[in-house]
Amino acid sequence: MLPKFKPAGDSAIAIIFGSEISEEINKKVHAVAETIEHASPEWLVEVVPTYTSVYVYYNPIKISYSEIVAALKPFLSAEPKKEEKRIVKIPVVYGGDFGPDIEFVAQYNNLTIDEVVEIHSKPLYRVYMLGFLPGFAYLGGMNERIATPRLEKPRLKVPAGSVGIAGRQTGWYAIESPGGWRLIGRTPLKTFDPTKSPPSIVKAGDYVKFVPIGEEKFWEIYKQEWGEEQ
Amino acid sequence: MIELVNVPSLTTIQDLGRYSYQSFGVPVSGVMDEVSARLANYLVGNEDNTPLLEFVLHGPTIKFHSSAVFAIGGDVEVKLNGQPVEAWKSYWAKRGDILEIGILKSGMYGYIAFAGGIACEPILGSCSTYLRANFGKPLSSGDKLKLGYAILTGKEGKQLPKEFVPKYEKENTVRVILGPQEEHFTKRGIETFLTSEYTVTSESDRMGYRLEGPKIEHSDKGADIITDAIPPGSIQVPKNGKPIIMLADRQTTGGYAKIGVVARVDIPKVAQKRPGERIRFKAISIEKAQETLIRQEKLMKAIKFFLRGEMRAYKVKTFGEEIIAFTKIEKKK
Repeated sequence: MLPKFKPAGDSAIAIIFGSEISEEINKKVHAVAETIEHASPEWLVEVVPTYTSVYVYYNPIKISYSEIVAALKPFLSAEPKKEEKRIVKIPVVYGGDFGPDIEFVAQYNNLTIDEVVEIHSKPLYRVYMLGFLPGFAYLGGMNERIATPRLEKPRLKVPAGSVGIAGRQTGWYAIESPGGWRLIGRTPLKTFDPTKSPPSIVKAGDYVKFVPIGEEKFWEIYKQEWGEEQ
Repeated sequence: MIELVNVPSLTTIQDLGRYSYQSFGVPVSGVMDEVSARLANYLVGNEDNTPLLEFVLHGPTIKFHSSAVFAIGGDVEVKLNGQPVEAWKSYWAKRGDILEIGILKSGMYGYIAFAGGIACEPILGSCSTYLRANFGKPLSSGDKLKLGYAILTGKEGKQLPKEFVPKYEKENTVRVILGPQEEHFTKRGIETFLTSEYTVTSESDRMGYRLEGPKIEHSDKGADIITDAIPPGSIQVPKNGKPIIMLADRQTTGGYAKIGVVARVDIPKVAQKRPGERIRFKAISIEKAQETLIRQEKLMKAIKFFLRGEMRAYKVKTFGEEIIAFTKIEKKK
């Protein structure tokens, strides 16, 4: 399908590449988004890649809608680069105080806790996009065998780094926030740090591998990342 | 330095927002009413993006620990050391002076600008407070803020001509560019949206305003979309058919179909609506919206140079209508 252009207000344009979540469409999205960002035309404000679309925020004082449609067309031929596949390893302590809901996830799916850990840490997850809250990654590729509904009543405070499952989705809380995901573990990494550029440990288009670690290793990394033990 | 002695409502430091990090899930934030905030900054000789204070409904009381030039943006009574002073005009305050800002007579957000701006450590390139991620914090009594360095001379006594003072109406027609997901609505749904009156509910904050009014009908594609981006002013319509207008602190992406996006020139009008006040929507072409925005930006620039003393403003009559025109003041060689 040919990409479609659509105005999204007077200062943003959506380039829509498809109408389903697929790795192929998402790869095209990131290739085009990256190329536009790299070219950095003077009217560009910022580029936001999503599952199936690229939103280009622009300055309408410098370029009109019809002009931007024409200006963006050459970027559409951008193809995903084959060799580059950035894999970000996320160490996780599963279970215990770090993942208080892992037992529930196991029981709900008729599995043992070890099986949950194995199934969760096995795949290479694709980061389709970031959004919602700072550093929140939309990951693709979780095995349905560990899918579990959200908590009926969300927790008021989930520590940053908590790894959870919500329905068929998995991911981590990049910042401390309220949340209804089933927590199965926690990473000691500071996955979102506004004092760093880029602020997030992953970016859209990356791949994520969860690596099970022990409690001792957790605190070792934690101290390096966060300073003093909390 | 200034000290907040009384903070009766949410007061935060804001600038024009945090750009370039939406692809990392970081919301833009920034002032709710860009026009009022920029005008307040111009009055004290600041640039558009200078950090200033934004308050909701009821302004704070401020004690000056050093002299400073300030201006208030908003329809509000202001007292300096107990004596009434005007909004939309810049004043010189001395050490020990007390500035009291009352309750807004109209509108929802008010601004306090200081010459040189409020000094702050930017987070990801911006001083905008974004509470959900602890970028900055809500200000409270006892907080002391440093002001940026500025030459104060000549910055006081500037007044915004009354023709340019923003008016915060109780009812407004807000112009909207339809889409990008108009196919998720029936023809009747779009008609309902464009012909009905909607009321701002109390479930409204810096993130977005929820509206109450006739239900907007979705097409068989339904209310949910594959999560995509949310530009400022996006009007999402969830399954209940009630529109939500996404504002400064909106999340960067969302999964409800967007029936339209408010034209940027009308976003301040929306932001200044109080719960209970009403909105009507009117479709506008993308071309018309961009033209209107360019015209507004030219005017903002002229006002900025006029307040700096680099342009002269005068009234002219064209076609029986009185308008304000600007001319550059030629510098003597």
